[in-house]
Amino acid sequence: MTSAAISPTEAVREEDVRAAGELERTWGDPPGLMGWLRSTDHKSIGKRYIITAFVFFILGGIEAALIRLQLSRPENSLLGPDIYNQIFTMHGTTMMFLFAVPMMTAMGLYFVPTMVGARDVAFPRLNAFGYWVYLIGGLLLYTGFFLNIGPDTGWFTYVPLSGPEYSAGKRVDIWAQTVTFTEIAALVASVEIIATVFKHRAPGMTINRIPIFVWSQLVMAFMIMFSMPWVASASMFLAADRLIGTHLFNPAEGGDALLWQHLFWFFGHPEVYIIFIPALGMASQVVVTFSRREMFGYPAAVLANIAQGFLSFGLWVHHMFATTVPQLASSFFTATSAMIAITTGVQFFCWIATIWLGKPRLRVPFLFVLAFVVVFMIGGLSGVMIASVPFDTQVHDTFFIVAHLHYVLMASVFALFAGFYYWFPKVTGRLLGERLGRWHLALFFIGVNVAFFPQHFLGLDGMPRRVYTYLAETGWGDLNLLSSAGAVTTALSAALFLVNVWRSLRTGAKAGDDPWQADTLEWATSSPPTSYTFVHLPVVESRSPMWDHSVDRPVVTGMRTDLREALVTTLNDAIPDSRHYQPRPTIKPLVAALATGGTFIALIFTPWGLALGSIVITVCLIAWAWPDRQAHAELRRFEEGIA
Amino acid sequence: MTASSRNLPGVDVRHLPTTVFGARDTAWWGTVGFMAIEATTIVVCVASYFYLWRNSATWPPEHTLRPSLLWPTIAVIVMLVSNIPMVWLRRAAKRLDLAGVRRWLIVGTVLSAVFVVLRWQEFLALNTRWDTNAYGSIAWLSVGFHATLLIANLGETAVMTAMLHSSRRTERHYTDAVDGADYWHFMTGIWVPLYVIIYLGPYFL
Repeated sequence: MTSAAISPTEAVREEDVRAAGELERTWGDPPGLMGWLRSTDHKSIGKRYIITAFVFFILGGIEAALIRLQLSRPENSLLGPDIYNQIFTMHGTTMMFLFAVPMMTAMGLYFVPTMVGARDVAFPRLNAFGYWVYLIGGLLLYTGFFLNIGPDTGWFTYVPLSGPEYSAGKRVDIWAQTVTFTEIAALVASVEIIATVFKHRAPGMTINRIPIFVWSQLVMAFMIMFSMPWVASASMFLAADRLIGTHLFNPAEGGDALLWQHLFWFFGHPEVYIIFIPALGMASQVVVTFSRREMFGYPAAVLANIAQGFLSFGLWVHHMFATTVPQLASSFFTATSAMIAITTGVQFFCWIATIWLGKPRLRVPFLFVLAFVVVFMIGGLSGVMIASVPFDTQVHDTFFIVAHLHYVLMASVFALFAGFYYWFPKVTGRLLGERLGRWHLALFFIGVNVAFFPQHFLGLDGMPRRVYTYLAETGWGDLNLLSSAGAVTTALSAALFLVNVWRSLRTGAKAGDDPWQADTLEWATSSPPTSYTFVHLPVVESRSPMWDHSVDRPVVTGMRTDLREALVTTLNDAIPDSRHYQPRPTIKPLVAALATGGTFIALIFTPWGLALGSIVITVCLIAWAWPDRQAHAELRRFEEGIA
Repeated sequence: MTASSRNLPGVDVRHLPTTVFGARDTAWWGTVGFMAIEATTIVVCVASYFYLWRNSATWPPEHTLRPSLLWPTIAVIVMLVSNIPMVWLRRAAKRLDLAGVRRWLIVGTVLSAVFVVLRWQEFLALNTRWDTNAYGSIAWLSVGFHATLLIANLGETAVMTAMLHSSRRTERHYTDAVDGADYWHFMTGIWVPLYVIIYLGPYFL
């Protein structure tokens, strides 16, 4: 007997071939531009998300290069102070809100459903809505920038500088609304990921068999849920102070400038971990695959991940040591800041043990993980230094902080590139070039270290951040030039990556279903996956389903192929429990996103935007909820079990 | 129309139900997710309220009236009592009792509209403006944020009521009605601490 197909490439039995054909008609995106706009396939949306976030990464990188060019020598006149302010604000805002968080959620939206053995996310239309809202937010920010009304008060936009008194015009409002857009998108993604992991796992994928990357996405999603509302509210408060004359941040009327810092950093610190925890998850996945052994200490690694999520909410005041927070509070936050080193340590030791006990293969994704560990360790060590109040007070607002935060964040980018090299063959069907990949890694590693390591010394020597130039007598010229040379090297490495992508899309080696002999379910299907991902949904019997069986893998049977049906399983044990209908592709998410976008953009100019927008959004949501004739007929057939 | 299951290792799911309620259903988790987000936003409002409270020698600040209590107290009682028909709505929905669901959804729509009208009175009962001082700002924004939940709930309940009266209804909408009742409990429940802090608070703080 031939076994039932999970991957379309294995569909040889006549009934599997027939099922695959019908599944493609049911799950495939409609043709043409309209079809593209209507798509709700998490793989299409995920790919768009990843590409859009990468474009913003390049834009943020160009801004970084401009900053470094300006600072490469003393009294440089390449950029004036005003444009310099806009560019460093755009750089920070782009990298944090338009690149890092969306990229991490995008990787989750693409891979989480596939890794847990589902055909789509829990709410496919909402997923599309999230992407469109994010895109509108990004376009708003850059439209403002190109019209010379780009925000110029830094990515954390402190009041009173950003308040109505010191920042007239619309620059800060554009920042505030961009943030609102991206927060909505991230919150939508968090709901998607939680519901998908909780209810759409393959039968048998009990809670202690969930892949580590999926765990990290789940922790990230919960962190988004409990941290993003803080910055969304804060930016709304700021917009209200600026537009309708509230006094939340105005000390003259009982408001408080430090309230902004508390609200911002209560989000802002978890934000760093929202980026870092999925990076850890990607690194873990790569370590497991390339060590060819199960994760050593899986429960410890998962618990460390969760603990890190909790701890990251207890750190925010360490961004505010230079303000008037009480001394006892400072001591408390010093302790929690040092504590987070323990959970990171647990993760690192689990990896070391996994590599030690396994048979590591030194391929590019694995090498990127090694670089990630080194870079993060440097960032982590300077982090332990500035967790101490006296030290922090000394280097606050200097280039030492710039060096620290870039080490930490760039570490996550190393892990992200590990993920790119690892999963590129799954998404495109072709492997990235190994040799170019090694060059990319080498140049990137050298570039990042040369760019940021000297900044520690500049900071210790007192060079403040966010100055557009400095005098020759300060003696900072040489180290700045070195740092700029590092930035150029980093840019070259990114260009090499793009060349690698371009070349392998044209002539790269064909990947096949499972080029790395990995252990998780995304490798059980074709590369790239078909619209329906699996011919039969897989059944899971261990933490490493791909290493259990090579033939006769257990599958789910009895799923409908003529309409979009999802299997719902129980929360802890993933026992099949019910069947769930998922709607067909529709233009409604895009229309609703445009209505939301219009409302928030109108709100930059007039409070009446809210009233008008509410009406438009309500109409859109009614249309969203109301099934059209075809959808209604299909839902009836689903519930009544009619073919 | 289903993929064949002859002699295959694994599980057959063709007999699983298509209509389930509460935590067994996927959409319920979406609703709970949005509740968590909204609850966090209300926590932000409350945290900011107490943070700003420390800045004034008296609360409310001098020359600012305390809130009136009549309408807000009536409103909070109406909100709490309104949970009873929602319990009946849930029971009717789980029985797939169309007449019962329709009845309690109509009651729900009327109540949602009453909430919105009462909210107007609650704004007036603050006895200050949002641009008077920071106290007025945070009180208005907190009550205002909760008002957006009330308005969204009105829209949602009205649409659901219309749906249950239309020919487009299916069993799915009974599940949605249960989620709607759960959301109602959340929305009215979370108003209680806000009522205590914003309307009673100035008498005690």
